Amino acid sequence: MVEFYASAFHPIRDDLSAAHARAWTRIARPGTWWDGNARVAIAAETRRASGCALCRRRKEALSPLAIEGSHDSLGQLPEIVVEVVHRVRTDPGRLGERWYRSVIARDLTEEQYVEIVSVVAHTVAIDTMARGLGLDAPPLPDPEPGLPSHYRPAGAKPGGAWVPWVEPAYAGAAEAGIYPNERPPANIMKAMSLVPEEVRSFFDLVTHQYLPGAVMRDFSREYRAISHAQIELLAARVSALNRCLY
Amino acid sequence: MLLRASGQTHNRTYQLVAVTGAVEGDGGVPYGRRLVMFAEAVLGEDDVALARARDALMAAMGPPALVDAAGVVGLFNAIDRVADATGIPLEPEKAAASADFRAALDLDRFAVVDRS
Repeated sequence: MVEFYASAFHPIRDDLSAAHARAWTRIARPGTWWDGNARVAIAAETRRASGCALCRRRKEALSPLAIEGSHDSLGQLPEIVVEVVHRVRTDPGRLGERWYRSVIARDLTEEQYVEIVSVVAHTVAIDTMARGLGLDAPPLPDPEPGLPSHYRPAGAKPGGAWVPWVEPAYAGAAEAGIYPNERPPANIMKAMSLVPEEVRSFFDLVTHQYLPGAVMRDFSREYRAISHAQIELLAARVSALNRCLY
Repeated sequence: MLLRASGQTHNRTYQLVAVTGAVEGDGGVPYGRRLVMFAEAVLGEDDVALARARDALMAAMGPPALVDAAGVVGLFNAIDRVADATGIPLEPEKAAASADFRAALDLDRFAVVDRS
């Protein structure tokens, strides 16, 4: 068992522990549009959101947009970033394109937005697993110094999602490896392609916490301690609870 | 959709309504009820219910299965957020293949195109 879960009561696969350790390392480093301080602050704010009174009132309301107020935040991030982090964390099933356009109109770029979503998603994946196992959420990493790269793929264009994405035909050399070669990428892979490093990072988690892409449909053998059917039942139940059609 | 594909490969019929939590039994999936209750408890706020669901799953399937189940629940709790926050549509081939059970289970009400 690698160090990330060295004190865990349940033995955790080494490859999974290592994937979580890599995710934490990447969150601590300068990203594409946010530096390490901001990325770790986004992860911390993701945890804070669960106890936010405004988010709770909105979650209970018929329409979240009808409830105004201030988020209970850690005070480390701009208000608009806190709004995105809290809404994505606490009420994702009712996010709408109008809300998305409104946050982008308030001094947040689409690239910054995608990277926020990715850091929230990494944090949720790891923290939710810890909760399932009865473990404390792992301590957040210390931010590393440095500047974000500000790399935007030249081939990113408006497509079928709210955010621009990179179709495989327009992927440049810097996007190499973000999509499978043997089949068209699923939309969930294209979703964060405006920030290719986040695709790489998140799908590293997907590979180890769920399944590698190449074996998702290989029903001839099992790759985990639970079967494909058991995995897909869990996945579908979670998505139904989150009101996520995808 | 992969749940149904898995069943077709193994010539088994799974009760897809199990994904709505509206099935008392396993829905044709071994330990299905325990897995569903575990997923519901992880996403819920009742720590006592979660401990009970965790213990039941571990007793039935063992620690490695519990770890993998917790991992899948965590990962999809994240994937759903990526999908919903970026507004991605269902791919046409997946939409066609799942149209019948989406209609039967009234899942289309969650479509991002219907949200303002």
